[in-house]
Amino acid sequence: MEITTESGKDALMNYIMKNCLWQFNSRGWDRKLQNENIIEKATQILCMEETTKESLADRCYWAEAQQLVNEWECFSWLKAMNSVDIKTMMGKLKEALDYQLITNSLNEELKNPNY
Amino acid sequence: MPYHQFECSKCIPERIKHAVDKTKNDLTEALPLGYLNTIPGTLSERGCAYCGAKHVIGTPMKDVIHLSHGPIGCTYDTWQTKRYISDNDNFQIKYTFASDMKEKHIVFGAEKVLKNNIIEAFKAFPKIKRMTIYQTCASALIGDDIKAIANEIMDEMPDVDIFVCNSPGFAGPSQSGGHHKINLAWVNDKVGQVEPKITSDYVINYVGEYNIQGDQEVMQDYFKRMGIQILSTFTGNGSYDDLRAMHRAQLNVLECARSAEYICDELRKRYGIPRMDIDGFGFKALTSSLRKIGLFFGIEDRAEAIIEEETKRWKPELDWYAARLQGKKICLWPGGSKLWHWAHIIHEEMGLEVVSVYTKFGHQGDMEKGISRCEAGALAIDDPNELESLEAMYKLKPDLIVTGKRPGEVAKKIRVPYLNAHAYHNGPYKGFEGWVRFARDIYNAVYSPIHKLSLTDISKDEITTDKSFVTRQMLSDDQLDESIINSEKLHEYTGEFDSVKKLRRKEYPQYPMKGKLAAV
Repeated sequence: MEITTESGKDALMNYIMKNCLWQFNSRGWDRKLQNENIIEKATQILCMEETTKESLADRCYWAEAQQLVNEWECFSWLKAMNSVDIKTMMGKLKEALDYQLITNSLNEELKNPNY
Repeated sequence: MPYHQFECSKCIPERIKHAVDKTKNDLTEALPLGYLNTIPGTLSERGCAYCGAKHVIGTPMKDVIHLSHGPIGCTYDTWQTKRYISDNDNFQIKYTFASDMKEKHIVFGAEKVLKNNIIEAFKAFPKIKRMTIYQTCASALIGDDIKAIANEIMDEMPDVDIFVCNSPGFAGPSQSGGHHKINLAWVNDKVGQVEPKITSDYVINYVGEYNIQGDQEVMQDYFKRMGIQILSTFTGNGSYDDLRAMHRAQLNVLECARSAEYICDELRKRYGIPRMDIDGFGFKALTSSLRKIGLFFGIEDRAEAIIEEETKRWKPELDWYAARLQGKKICLWPGGSKLWHWAHIIHEEMGLEVVSVYTKFGHQGDMEKGISRCEAGALAIDDPNELESLEAMYKLKPDLIVTGKRPGEVAKKIRVPYLNAHAYHNGPYKGFEGWVRFARDIYNAVYSPIHKLSLTDISKDEITTDKSFVTRQMLSDDQLDESIINSEKLHEYTGEFDSVKKLRRKEYPQYPMKGKLAAV
């Protein structure tokens, strides 16, 4: 079956929701930061672009992203995808994560201003 | 995904929003409510906020006198019911302390009696110089100023240090309210008071880990083999003064986010220490966790060496049980975090079908994780009452439920085997070997001949006398393929009865320090 950026996004989304924990931090603003940083770094790794990891925070985002990309070796189609398609797909992936876990989430604690 | 209507709860209409049948991977359609006050009319199985603060988080600290300021029943009921062992001869489990408030103290105040009790406890255990004091409903309602008493004592006895936790039983819908309060109290009152000796380039706090039957010591073994210094463990097998030095870690490795994410989030805000959530259960999830910690510090090779060694040693034993557990139905009904720690990996690695997940005190975030990780068809329930649990078991017909003692005893009454998710049966369950021990306990529970025997009604059923002898393996291997039965590669658990004690004598490789986080 041919993999499109849409079907690829669905496969990666399912993988993240099943195996990862970083996307579930308890506040909406925190989830936004996690999604932005980890997906951005994963995209850079997949496209073989430079990634910042100087600060402890960046290093933590990077470790999560790098491990995720390593585990995505199970998706052989990913290796054949070009950078443009990867960026499109990862953009859609971030949108899907934000939609499921922030903007359309039914979790009433996400808007709590305190931890 | 539809909300689930229990027949028994039709008379409590609010309950419908607390259960969901998972049909697909979409959390935006339905999500059980959580962390709400128990609805009047429903008999909940939750604990109180005092219990959550003291019993779950405070008392696993090992070198501390843990004193409840309240009636003796409060401390008795939070004593020894969870097996959070320690490497200092289990001081925190052996002894429990209470100010023993009585009616006269409610009328006249109990500050004097508290002060006398503190002095008495320190005198009785002169080697212990640290204490935690827990407010209860009774002492909160009369307004005793526990912090003032603690400060008086610390002035009079400069070598002692006391932590006060104001989390009375009524201060939250469940034990989870107490987790929150003690997290914030500790970071506000104690973190930053001690400067630790740094002995490694790689320094972590291990957070949300309570050393149930040795879980912390198993994970500590891996971290030490990687050359990582565990500055503190919050709180299992943890030391009071180590926990005052949490601000010096480079990374907070978080296990039970439900009970301890608050302190990680505060440490991230106040001290810039990032939070990394991990899974210590299951080969694949643990492997992933060790790898990303290795990546963070730039010591992936050390993580890989452990993963290779442990997988080679224990995987054939896990597979022996997995071959015999395929398709067995299980309800994952723990307290808060284990439903999502286990939901996917118990299915993937043991072949069990998770037919239900529930949480007693979890928040909606825990349900998001649990529902995402379990398979379609599972019933997700928040804070079930006993009748709902019974209805779910009659409907789902699980081969096993993994839960706490109270619902576990209910399950036994209808002949459903249960394993203790909170204190474990024969843990530790974390780590590679621990996961095999869990599989063994599941196997022993599912195939125990006693459950079949218990279904026989001697008042009417015919009792066979010529086919009575049966073993677990006769039951489990009855329909099993010959190639699996005769496999030379797969075998039952061969570890020791106590898998933890040997770790305490172990020597670890010394890695010279390079002076900074090497890879940054």
